[in-house]
Amino acid sequence: MASSTSTRLEWIGTAIDQYQSRLIRFAARITGDVESARDVVQDTFLRLCREDVERVRDHLPAWLFRVCRNRALDVRKKEGPLQTLDDAGTPAREGLEADPHARLERGDDARRVLAAVAMLPAPQQEVLRLRFQEELSYKEISGVTGHSVGSVGFLIHDGIKKLRQRLGHDEPASRPEGERTDA
Amino acid sequence: MHDERREEDLTAYALDELDGEARTAVEAILAGSVDARREVDEVREAAARLREAFASVPHQALTPEQRAAVEEEAARGVRRSRRSRSVAAALVAGVAASLVALVVVVAPFERYAKPSVPAGFHVPVPLPSIASLPSARAVAPMSREQFEQLKALGYVGGTLGDVDEYSRMKSDELRDSSAPFNTETYDHIRDNAFVLVAQDPRSTFSVDVDTASYSIVRRFLRDGQLPPKDAVRVEELINYFPYDYEPPTGAVPFAVHMETAACPWSPDHRLVRIGLKGREVPRGERPPSNLVFLIDVSGSMDAPNKLPLVKAALRLLVEQLQAEDHVAIAVYAGAEGLALPSTPATDKAAILGAIESLSPGGSTHGSAGIRLAYETAAASYIKGGVNRVILATDGDFNVGITSPGELVRLIETEAKSGIFLTALGFGMGNLKDATLEKLADHGNGNYAYIDRLSEARKVFVEQIGGTLVTIAKDIKLQVEFNPARVKAFRLVGYENRVLAHQDFNDDTRDAGDIGAGHTVTALYEIVPPGVNVAVPGVDPLKYQPTAARRPGTASGEMLTLKLRYKQPDSDHSARLDVPVEDSGRSFEEASPDFRFAAAVAAFGMALRDSPYKGDVNLRTIQEWARNSLGQDEEGHRAELVTLIARAQQLSPNR
Repeated sequence: MASSTSTRLEWIGTAIDQYQSRLIRFAARITGDVESARDVVQDTFLRLCREDVERVRDHLPAWLFRVCRNRALDVRKKEGPLQTLDDAGTPAREGLEADPHARLERGDDARRVLAAVAMLPAPQQEVLRLRFQEELSYKEISGVTGHSVGSVGFLIHDGIKKLRQRLGHDEPASRPEGERTDA
Repeated sequence: MHDERREEDLTAYALDELDGEARTAVEAILAGSVDARREVDEVREAAARLREAFASVPHQALTPEQRAAVEEEAARGVRRSRRSRSVAAALVAGVAASLVALVVVVAPFERYAKPSVPAGFHVPVPLPSIASLPSARAVAPMSREQFEQLKALGYVGGTLGDVDEYSRMKSDELRDSSAPFNTETYDHIRDNAFVLVAQDPRSTFSVDVDTASYSIVRRFLRDGQLPPKDAVRVEELINYFPYDYEPPTGAVPFAVHMETAACPWSPDHRLVRIGLKGREVPRGERPPSNLVFLIDVSGSMDAPNKLPLVKAALRLLVEQLQAEDHVAIAVYAGAEGLALPSTPATDKAAILGAIESLSPGGSTHGSAGIRLAYETAAASYIKGGVNRVILATDGDFNVGITSPGELVRLIETEAKSGIFLTALGFGMGNLKDATLEKLADHGNGNYAYIDRLSEARKVFVEQIGGTLVTIAKDIKLQVEFNPARVKAFRLVGYENRVLAHQDFNDDTRDAGDIGAGHTVTALYEIVPPGVNVAVPGVDPLKYQPTAARRPGTASGEMLTLKLRYKQPDSDHSARLDVPVEDSGRSFEEASPDFRFAAAVAAFGMALRDSPYKGDVNLRTIQEWARNSLGQDEEGHRAELVTLIARAQQLSPNR
């Protein structure tokens, strides 16, 4: 091995510090609860330990989210059809979003935005979160989800457009969804 | 140009996703279109609202256990080749018949700690509890090689090895380690019983700073097993945790802190806590250290949780060294040798290089290695400094010892030269717990069991002062109870540390040592006068005076703690007397340290299924622990809370 164990250990430690919280909340949206999400994320980091550092260093977040996502999907599959990505917005899932305090402190706007996000199809929500919550690039999101970069671009663009329409900030609220905004 | 494709490009541009030609193209459009510029602004505004909405989610983290498991894996460093499943499967099949009760077959991905595994997440093979096994003897024979091979592949849990390991614990003699695999039984620890003060008003014991039992219990619970009762040493559980006792200010090298409150598991009883806190040696003020690592590189150390973990642990220690420290590395296997002569800590590259080059091979010749290590330490002895041999082994000495006592005598002789010993136990299935504990006891030493890297960090980073610098040795405690205030007492734990009363004043009798900053905690459960207590088989004395007539009994004092200790370089003890009155406090009014120590003790007693555990369940104990976390900067106490939860899952009835 080129890298010594202590450097490697440090690197893994930093990766945990940096990504554990983000990965857990990401996985929790798929598995439906935080405990199993933690297990998924532990497994993700264990996998990371067995990777060649040089191979993953340059695209670490994408690697982590991809492995984490696949693992979380496996878990959900095993746990049966209770939760699916399509029933986003059920109370259980909502509970994952934040603790009650954070929710209370959040402004009306945030609540309205989240409500609007919850009405989008699950794959679109996921992509939006990866972009605006996890700050992954289109290319990274493509690597994580398996959508092409073009699809990611479309899903995000379309998602933002729908949100703008629903939130009625910049478009006439009465404009039917999906209608072109040809100026 | 107002097509979807162009809008997507604008969005991508607004989100800074474009570069090169695509970017230039959009910039050209923006230059000529107010609408396009407005569109970009609005996308950015929407993005900001989304970010805002997605923010402020609570922070989530892995449990300390999960994190430690990952770090342990990282410490193994080398990518393990993914060996063919079929080889492993064949091995499993080959021995499966003999392992029905014990071996848990799990997929490699799922062999790690999962404190709260949701149903269906792991392969649902029921985990038999150790307690349900007929006996250790009932284990069918499997060669150690076979087992280790399976274990290295992750196909078996720790069970077989653990049975082997704990079967050797606390044996009074160094056992013949060539004894066949899994044929020994547990040595029984019997909980200290209540003693009537009218029968014997004194209690004498030695301090103990060993922590191995906690690491062992943790390992079992992590593996989904309740620990065998006799692997649970309550005092080692209690002393695993640092307590927030004030350090001493005077000449005495440690401070004594006594506290009394109601006993939470037996509300009619009182609980007395004795807390000792060793003088702190601040970072940078540690005296120069002359350290000799003595590393077992025999074939039995060739397992991921042995030599690679030893190396990772040593690297942690090397990072903590100061410029004037010196390090040497001696190794032993078939033959002993010096891997690194005494080298200044400033030459870190040489030290790390020597650590890196250690590789396993050969059989163990422990005594020659120990002699070499002490000779090396003596040759570079630092007067007034720390002189210490740090032994890292699974304890499986199997060559070169002609009698069990020889090794102990060797250590005892060497210890007289002012060189202290740290024994570090590694690995499961082969660890000779009793050997190492004995070496540490007789070599003015301390003993820790390193099951994972975070444990090494606790020993070598968080508590390096306590590990290296001994501030007082041969510390003995004797408590005399006032019969007017105490009807009966019971020392919680310390079963293996009880001394005869006459040993208290005998300076030739060895006892435990305290390192810098170490805390030692002992609990007495007290039965006040007027409360019934069952002390089987004891008749009232015929000729002894009753309590009321004796001198001194009229005072409010509940007990007097007498303490003997020696300075690290002295052969003569000094004595300290500390009388204590009962505060009358309820359990809830006690300090967090008191409540936490009581919770740990109650947890230990529950795991041991002690006859004195009282009428509390694990849920209650977990509440006590959760409500007394204190500062807990390193997260050790929080870990206990998760361990109690784990135990609850494994034994819902306790």
